[in-house]
Amino acid sequence: MYRIRFHGRGGQGIRTAASVLGSALFASGREVQDAPRYGAERRGAPMSAHVRAGRSVIVERGAIAQPDLVVVADPTLLAGGVLQGLSAQSVLFLNGSEPADELRTRLACPGRVVTWPGAARELEETTGVAIGALCAGGAARLLGVISRTTLEQALLAEIAGHGSGAAEAGRALGLAGFDALADSAGMVGEGVDDPGAGDAPPDWVRLALDDASLAAPDVFREATSELVQTGLWRTSRPVIDAALCSRCSWVCTTLCPDSAIHAKAGEVPQIDYEHCKGCLVCVLACPPHAIRALPERQPATAGNPR
Amino acid sequence: MSEARYRSLRELPGVHALAAGTAMCAGCGGLEALHEVLDVLGTRTVVINAAGCMTLLASYPFTPFHGSWLYTSMASAPAGAQGVRDALDLLRSRGRIGADDDLTAVVLSGDGSAYGMGLSATSAAIERGLDFIYLCYDNEGYGNTGQQTSAATPHGARTPTSPGPAGHAGEKKDLFDVWVAHRPRYAATVIGAEPLDLARKVQRAASLAGPRLILALAPCPTGWDYDPMHGVDIGRLAVRTGIWPLKEYVDGAVVHTHVPHPRLPVEAYLSTQGRFRHLFEPLRNDALIGEIQQRVDRYWQNVG
Repeated sequence: MYRIRFHGRGGQGIRTAASVLGSALFASGREVQDAPRYGAERRGAPMSAHVRAGRSVIVERGAIAQPDLVVVADPTLLAGGVLQGLSAQSVLFLNGSEPADELRTRLACPGRVVTWPGAARELEETTGVAIGALCAGGAARLLGVISRTTLEQALLAEIAGHGSGAAEAGRALGLAGFDALADSAGMVGEGVDDPGAGDAPPDWVRLALDDASLAAPDVFREATSELVQTGLWRTSRPVIDAALCSRCSWVCTTLCPDSAIHAKAGEVPQIDYEHCKGCLVCVLACPPHAIRALPERQPATAGNPR
Repeated sequence: MSEARYRSLRELPGVHALAAGTAMCAGCGGLEALHEVLDVLGTRTVVINAAGCMTLLASYPFTPFHGSWLYTSMASAPAGAQGVRDALDLLRSRGRIGADDDLTAVVLSGDGSAYGMGLSATSAAIERGLDFIYLCYDNEGYGNTGQQTSAATPHGARTPTSPGPAGHAGEKKDLFDVWVAHRPRYAATVIGAEPLDLARKVQRAASLAGPRLILALAPCPTGWDYDPMHGVDIGRLAVRTGIWPLKEYVDGAVVHTHVPHPRLPVEAYLSTQGRFRHLFEPLRNDALIGEIQQRVDRYWQNVG
């Protein structure tokens, strides 16, 4: 997997540079991740953008700690943490024209360093948002797996949203950057996909995940709660006196919180003693006082009194 | 209005859409309101349940519903309702289900979620014009965990988190007004103890489309500390003292569906519940009772 980290400032087109490179890599058959990372999201503030390109699905996430290629948009950024994670195998590419060897010594950089060669030194005069296209072109050449045509299409596609003028300028600069680094083509090597693969597994107990149908099972039958005999909760039992009941057909059955009284028009309601919890709301609510509370002594499932 | 309307209590269903055997407390005012609401809505509903007391309604393998039930975290029931609604709309538009197979998305949540944790998601759902009914059973505290204060706890109520002699120092949030401020399709306050008023409002809500609130005060024997048999009486007192105004918002206007007259003094309601006992024992706290009365008086003064 390639891991490429861009460093720039808000306004230098670095987010777009990462998108151009990401698109070009994707078009070249890679799986790609591409994400910018901002501190203060304002013009001029240092920011970075992170591109991963692998041959299979990428599970690695977050900022790139061990880059294969670091691209730096201008020399003033070198004071920050841009060298972080560079190794002897990695490459630092600076949009500048200081001779690469001098820069490497000055920075004590462990890896290889690339700047614009003498013939292309005017490229470092590029300003503003166009720097991104330039850097993307250079980076594409350093990877060596992106064709000039693919890069050109990616430049046009990613910059199109900024207007046709910007897209045309970006295309020209990106290709200029690509052409300028012909001598360094393919110098960036590909890092291993999973650097932790050989590590000893941690000393913890792995728990198998339950299948979703077991962990969060569905209930497919209706009204199964009727199988629960909440009548067993009861300490007092409401009993309807048929002689006093006015057969209103609604008061007790509507006000019973538990749907445990069933009523038909013109008939004495039936209390469902399997489920009546004995709250006795019905006793107080019945207008003709036809419901009395008796101590619960009978089995919970006993039927209605006749 | 033109839609069908219950004319009398005798027309209310005697066979219920919610099955017995749930794990809710005996005498639960929320369950009473829920079954009355479902009796009117019928079984062609998907209940989207925010975590709360009613988490216990459907615990595998038992469910009291004839329709579907989906469980969500406290903050995200309206988002769940959006997903359900979108899925139904997709099935409709692809011809996989017909109009007769469509279901109503009903959010069911307690006050902890409705007044607090879930309010942001609710606000956004109303803003999007989501076609759903939001049923809140408001027992004025986090009942499932021991009745700690919520944004719906009334001023002066004693709870495990407001144990002092003056009870809860905060104010009960006016969720009805919060909804009305969003200009929803419909909003109503109800109570299980007034089933005809409730049934008519649910009927009206069912005849409309868009975001609709049914806000039910839910007397709670466990959290409010009273004998469960008094639940209906306490509910009626909440209405007759003017503490729980019954009203609805539709077509841009708020209408009170019941104006208590004469309005009973608030202590008739407060004195029925252990959570207000400190207002009366060991010494009567006339100042605080008067303060609560004053709030209610002020509310009704402003009712045209």
